[in-house]
Amino acid sequence: MNEAPIDVRVTDVTVTYNNGHTALRDASFALAAGSICALVGVNGSGKSTLFKAIMGFVQPGRGTVTMGGLPVRQAQRRNWVAYVPQAEEVDWTFPVSVHDVVMMGRYGYMNFLRQARAEDRERVRESLERVRMWEYRDRQIGELSGGQKKRVFLARALAQGGRVILLDEPFTGVDVKTEAAIIDLLRELRAAGHIMLVSTHNLGSVPDFCDQVVLINRTVLASGPTAEVFTEENLARAFGGALRHFRLDKSTVDDSDGRAVTLLTDDERPVVFGRGGHLERRTDKED
Amino acid sequence: MDALLVPFHYEYMLKAMFVSALIGGVSAFLSCFVTLKGWSLMGDALSHSVVPGVALAAILGLPFALGAFFTGLLAAFGMGFVKARTPVREDAVIGVVFTTFFAAGLLLISLYPSNINLKTVVFGNMLGISDGDILQVLIISGVSLLVLALKWRDLLLFCFDPHQARAMGLNPTALRYLLLALLSATAVAALQAVGALLVVAMLVTPGATAYLLTDRFGRMLGIACALGTVVSFAGAYASYFVDGSVGGCIVTLQTLVFVAAWVFAPKHGVLATRRLRGREATEVPA
Repeated sequence: MNEAPIDVRVTDVTVTYNNGHTALRDASFALAAGSICALVGVNGSGKSTLFKAIMGFVQPGRGTVTMGGLPVRQAQRRNWVAYVPQAEEVDWTFPVSVHDVVMMGRYGYMNFLRQARAEDRERVRESLERVRMWEYRDRQIGELSGGQKKRVFLARALAQGGRVILLDEPFTGVDVKTEAAIIDLLRELRAAGHIMLVSTHNLGSVPDFCDQVVLINRTVLASGPTAEVFTEENLARAFGGALRHFRLDKSTVDDSDGRAVTLLTDDERPVVFGRGGHLERRTDKED
Repeated sequence: MDALLVPFHYEYMLKAMFVSALIGGVSAFLSCFVTLKGWSLMGDALSHSVVPGVALAAILGLPFALGAFFTGLLAAFGMGFVKARTPVREDAVIGVVFTTFFAAGLLLISLYPSNINLKTVVFGNMLGISDGDILQVLIISGVSLLVLALKWRDLLLFCFDPHQARAMGLNPTALRYLLLALLSATAVAALQAVGALLVVAMLVTPGATAYLLTDRFGRMLGIACALGTVVSFAGAYASYFVDGSVGGCIVTLQTLVFVAAWVFAPKHGVLATRRLRGREATEVPA
């Protein structure tokens, strides 16, 4: 299997559903190997449509998605595309164990009968150990905590050997410690040349671990390095009035010490801008 | 003692018991997917949609399985087609399409009453099953079991996480229609045993029972197939003594087993849940 770094290119993608609704129009962006990219936008902005286009679930009416220069279908056949679903999408009462779920990530390497070989079992063990879930391997998946559930599906993506990993709201229902552990793992994967595309409402954590940002509202509004794209002005464009927006410089904070701070939140951890667009990051000491 | 062996002395009873057991086993295998995918209504729909096919085949003098399989699949495609092109909810689409098919079947049977007996189609006729029909059941069951044995892992992934199936280059649409085709084929076979009205019980109850007894899919398959086979055999056997309908006996027995599992299941049963709650209640104050 070719281990050369691959890129992701989305070019002029337009997706129109059968009911005539155009969810995405002329969306374009590119990601080089080794990056964590946040996909940010309001509900209904086309985030999940973009995910579906990259996973080949919907066929763009116009435009192309390529990975390492290959169209989606061929990238899938090489097991390049892995997916970590949103917690609500999974049927947690399904009678499968942690080990079963991670083994499903190996199907693409198995024969017609999907019989696991020694190598498949080895990769499953490695992946589960990497997310520290090996001792839970025989649990039914519903018997896990929110963070453990996420780690199981991350392990499946690892076992699959995915080079482009799509994560849908990976931090929902996850405690701060697990969030930090997941982010550490994503950074390791980035260092190994993987591309992670993270759909998230957790705006405050974006500057902490994402080096790229794609802002989306029915099209790609802006994309590129976090420092350039994740600005107060761009976020205002992406969210319109949908964000809670506090200007603390017009509040009592300003009266007391004269510093200007802007706080933007889309439900979860707020993103904080200082004067002149300075982007607040969480320092390691706070973790 | 001898009285209990009486059914084994009659060829028609032997045929009824063994053919029921085979159909029960295959239906039970499928029932695991049906219950986990939430396709109980779909199972009911397909079992009614095969009726016009049976009628057409009888009129044209073709093997009934051929016609039934054809209209079953046609109904499945019809549902997919209507659902994709109207904003109507899926359960309503299923309701509209399968009743249309069933109505067409009834109409055909009433127009050509000499070719086929309505009672046979609706209630089954296991005790009068012909050798030709047995052969068809054997072929359907054999092919279905073979496909299931080869592809159950793919179907499992399709039921559990179709997005992942797609992301790995499997074709969820093809798997969906494979499962629908298996359902149609098995519905035709089960039609013989219990009739169109009760096919859905064969395609749901064993899976639902097994689901209560385990939380591993492999074990669920094993339990469901064992139950489906044994209970169908026992139902046909019991029908001799109560002198009642084979389908009625099989499905009643299946329901009794389901209720027993519901009460006594080690983890999800009523008693186990009560024990657990009792233990928690005593632990909390401590």
